[in-house]
Amino acid sequence: MRKVAIIGVGMIPFGRRDEDSLVDMLAYAALNAMDDAGLGERPIDAVYVGNMGAGLFNHQSAVASALVDRLNLLPAAADTVENGPASGGSAIKNGVLAVASGHFDLVLVAGGEKMREVIGPRATDIVATMTHPQAEYIYGATLPTMAGLFTRLYMKEYGVTSEHLARVAIKNHRNGLLNPYAHIHALITMEGILTSPHAIVNNPIVADPIRLYDCCPVSDGAAACLLCPAEMAREFGKPAIVVAGFGQATDTHTLQEREDPTDLKAVRIAAQQAFETAQLKPKDIDVAELHDAFTILEIAESEHAGFFKKGEGAKALDEGQTEIGGKLPINPSGGLKARGHPLGATGVAQVVELVWQLRGEAGERQVKGAEKGFSLNFGGFGNNVVSFVLRRE
Amino acid sequence: MSELVACKCTNCGFVNYPKHHRCLNCRAREFEQITPSGEATLLTYSEVCTLPWGIDERCRMLGIVQFENKVKAMGRLRVDKPRLGMKLKPSWEPVRVIGGEEVLGLTLRPAK
Repeated sequence: MRKVAIIGVGMIPFGRRDEDSLVDMLAYAALNAMDDAGLGERPIDAVYVGNMGAGLFNHQSAVASALVDRLNLLPAAADTVENGPASGGSAIKNGVLAVASGHFDLVLVAGGEKMREVIGPRATDIVATMTHPQAEYIYGATLPTMAGLFTRLYMKEYGVTSEHLARVAIKNHRNGLLNPYAHIHALITMEGILTSPHAIVNNPIVADPIRLYDCCPVSDGAAACLLCPAEMAREFGKPAIVVAGFGQATDTHTLQEREDPTDLKAVRIAAQQAFETAQLKPKDIDVAELHDAFTILEIAESEHAGFFKKGEGAKALDEGQTEIGGKLPINPSGGLKARGHPLGATGVAQVVELVWQLRGEAGERQVKGAEKGFSLNFGGFGNNVVSFVLRRE
Repeated sequence: MSELVACKCTNCGFVNYPKHHRCLNCRAREFEQITPSGEATLLTYSEVCTLPWGIDERCRMLGIVQFENKVKAMGRLRVDKPRLGMKLKPSWEPVRVIGGEEVLGLTLRPAK
């Protein structure tokens, strides 16, 4: 297997983008990545597009075919990759394997979603189609419902409190203020979202004990990266960032079938695989982008990925270890919480942020001296997880 | 309350719900169909106040329960003050309208 490098990355600001179609957004992000690499007129061999729900959100299918046409990358091979909210991570995985195998040299991976085309309850319903049709969906279960059921157990077993959850949101919104690509640019406070008499108005219950500020926003957006064999990377202008390791694992469709519903088994396995293939350990990582679709997930994933012992993620948060200047900065981009979560874009956006961090191009949110990064893209409610370890060469 | 059907593996006895074509525990393919029996114990719950399209309610309480014969399932709670570990009594009632059709599902009320 060949070593794979990321030679170009691009994004567009996430948020509400009424003027742009899904394919427009993917094209802008892809062009940014191609220009970032200084690709010029070199032909791209293959395109992988991560997208969860264009058929339902935008009444469009075969998105990868549409993108190669829009960018005139013809006759590149093109596939749309759907893996729920981990579609972006899966698209990158497919691109990495295609380059590593030796079959393709230049591969473009883009991820995108246009969710704001439908009203909120419709978006909630579309996302809820990931739940089990007979055992969950019929009851009105949503992804926040799953987070609520999970959070109640995590609070009971591990002493996580609403204050810890609010602290994740406050940290990530503070980081998001430093990220020009973030959907939400707003400083929030403990008083405003939890402790003042008005907090319940600002921060209403979504799925008890999950409140509004424990949830990521519904966003439009796209991100892209360009891959090639590591030995070819020196032909391009930017410092090569190598995909040192990756992992992917699955778990049961429903939460109730897990022997211990607080055990995020797919996170544990995907992270272990990524560290093993990279021949690194969690302690070697300088910066992490975790899938904080709900604040509890940042804490739980930080434990299951091996950065902290189980039950100690909230303590690490309290101690400031996960701040940009801390021992292990988590989500310097603002995470899904502030950057936003256009489903198919997220896994790619996490990798784009890591590349900027490892190149030293992250501006005000730069983690000093970052050389090794970790990303974790969480599909369903933890039933399909993709993770990467990136390293600056 | 007989509409919820779980699959008990004839090889290892593990109760699978929802259905699988291979046992989640031992991967065997033969099952005996069983229905939940006895009281249900509440394992976790959430009051959901941002409901999806098609449910015209302000909030709805959902939970996961375990029956005495090991069947674990999500259901709608008709409970004012839920608490973990409380005993619940099941019934099978309309829970949602999907595509114009009323769909029945597990509904749980306090056992006493």
